Amino acid sequence: MARNAGRLARLKTLLEEFYVTPYRGALARARRDEDDIFMLFVFAELMGVPNPAAYYTLELQPLLLERFHEWHRRQGLEHSPLDGFRCC
Amino acid sequence: MLDHLLTGRLLFVGGKGGVGKTTTAAALAVVAAARDRRCLLVSTDPAHSLADLFGRSIGNRETALASSLWALEIDPDQQADEHLATVKARMKRLVHPRSFGEIDRQLDLARQAPGTMEAAMLERVAEVMALAGDQYDQVIFDTAPTGHTIRLLSLPEVMAAWTDGLLGHRERSARLGSALRHLGGGRQKGDDLSLLESASDYVEGSRDDQLNELLQTRRRKFVRARDQLLDAAVSAFALVLNPDRLSVLESIKAYETLTRFAVPVTGIVVNRVLPTDAEGAFLDARRRQEARYLEEIDRVFSRLPRVRVPLQPDEVHDMETLRRLGHLILAID
Repeated sequence: MARNAGRLARLKTLLEEFYVTPYRGALARARRDEDDIFMLFVFAELMGVPNPAAYYTLELQPLLLERFHEWHRRQGLEHSPLDGFRCC
Repeated sequence: MLDHLLTGRLLFVGGKGGVGKTTTAAALAVVAAARDRRCLLVSTDPAHSLADLFGRSIGNRETALASSLWALEIDPDQQADEHLATVKARMKRLVHPRSFGEIDRQLDLARQAPGTMEAAMLERVAEVMALAGDQYDQVIFDTAPTGHTIRLLSLPEVMAAWTDGLLGHRERSARLGSALRHLGGGRQKGDDLSLLESASDYVEGSRDDQLNELLQTRRRKFVRARDQLLDAAVSAFALVLNPDRLSVLESIKAYETLTRFAVPVTGIVVNRVLPTDAEGAFLDARRRQEARYLEEIDRVFSRLPRVRVPLQPDEVHDMETLRRLGHLILAID
C-alpha cells in the first residue's frame, strides 16, 4: 500500500512535469522578453537609440549595471556597446 | 478685471521674447505680496533678468526681496550636476574602482546630451510647483519664450506616460514571475531566465523594489505637476503680448497649443499700448497700425478677460513703479 502511494506520488510529479514544463519555459521566456525591453529603454542611448528620457533613466542604470553584460550578450552584441565601459 | 490671476496657487506668465513678461510677472508678484500673500517669483528663462529688474543678486535659491515676497532664478546646470553626481555615486558603489574613470567620462557626456538641461529644468519646476499652497500662497513663474514654455508644460504629461510604460513592463514581468513560481519554476535549472531578479538579488535586498520605487517617485512628481497644471482652480496662465504683428501671431499659436494640452489660459495682458494722449504725426501713424492688431486681439481672444496696459513714460525700476504697473494690469484705480 505504502509502496503504491509512493509510486503514485512519483507518477503525479512526472505527469506534472510533463504538462507544466512547456508552459514554464514559455512564461520564463515571456518574462525575459519584458525585462529585455525594459533594459533597452533604460540603456537605449548606449545602443544609439535616442532616448527622450535619458536624464531620468540614468538613475536606474546603477541598479541594472550587473545585469548589463548578460543583456547585451543576448541582444547579439559580443562586446559592451558602451565604449570604454568594459564589462567584458 | 484680471484679479483672478492672484487668487490661484500657481500663475504662469508667458509670451514672446521681449513683450514684457518679466516685468508683468514681477508687478503681479509685488501686488500679491502687498496683499500679504506669501509669493514666490520664479524665473525659468535661461537668460535670467529678475536680478537686474530688482537691482540685487538672486540666483538659484529662494531670496527674500520684501515682506511676503521671494524670488528664485532656476539654474538647470546646477540641478543637472547634482543629479549626475548622485547617479555617479550610486554607480561607483557597484563597480570596481578601476572603472571609476570610465563612469566619470560616460556621465560627463550625458551632461552635454541634448535634453539634459530641459529635463533638469522640468524637475526643478515640478519641485517648486509643489511649494505652492504650502510654503507659499502663490508661486508666479516668469517663463521663457513661448515655445520653450509650452514644451515645459507638456512634458509632465509626456513623461508620466513614459514612466507608465516602463512600470507596465515591470508589472508584466512581476506577474509572469509569480505565475512561474506557481508552476514550481525558479528552482529548476534553466527556468531562471529573468534578467532582473536572480538569486543574488535576494541577498542584496530586492533590487526590483528599488527600481520600482525610483520609477514611482518619478511618476508621482510628473503626475502631480500635470494635475496642478491642468486644474483651473490651482493654475492660471496669463499670456502677455504687444499690439504688433509677430507678437499677436505667436500668441495665437501659443494659445492654440496651450488649449490643446488643456492648460487653462485665463488672461491676456496687452502690454505697451500707445497712450491716447500721446500726440504727433509719427505716433498717429503707429496708432493706426496698432488699432488693427488691438481689434484682432479682441476678436481672437474674445472669450478671455483682457487688459490693455499703456506704454509708460518711465521705465519700471523699483517696488513702487512695479506696484503701480501691477495695479494697471489688474485694472485697479
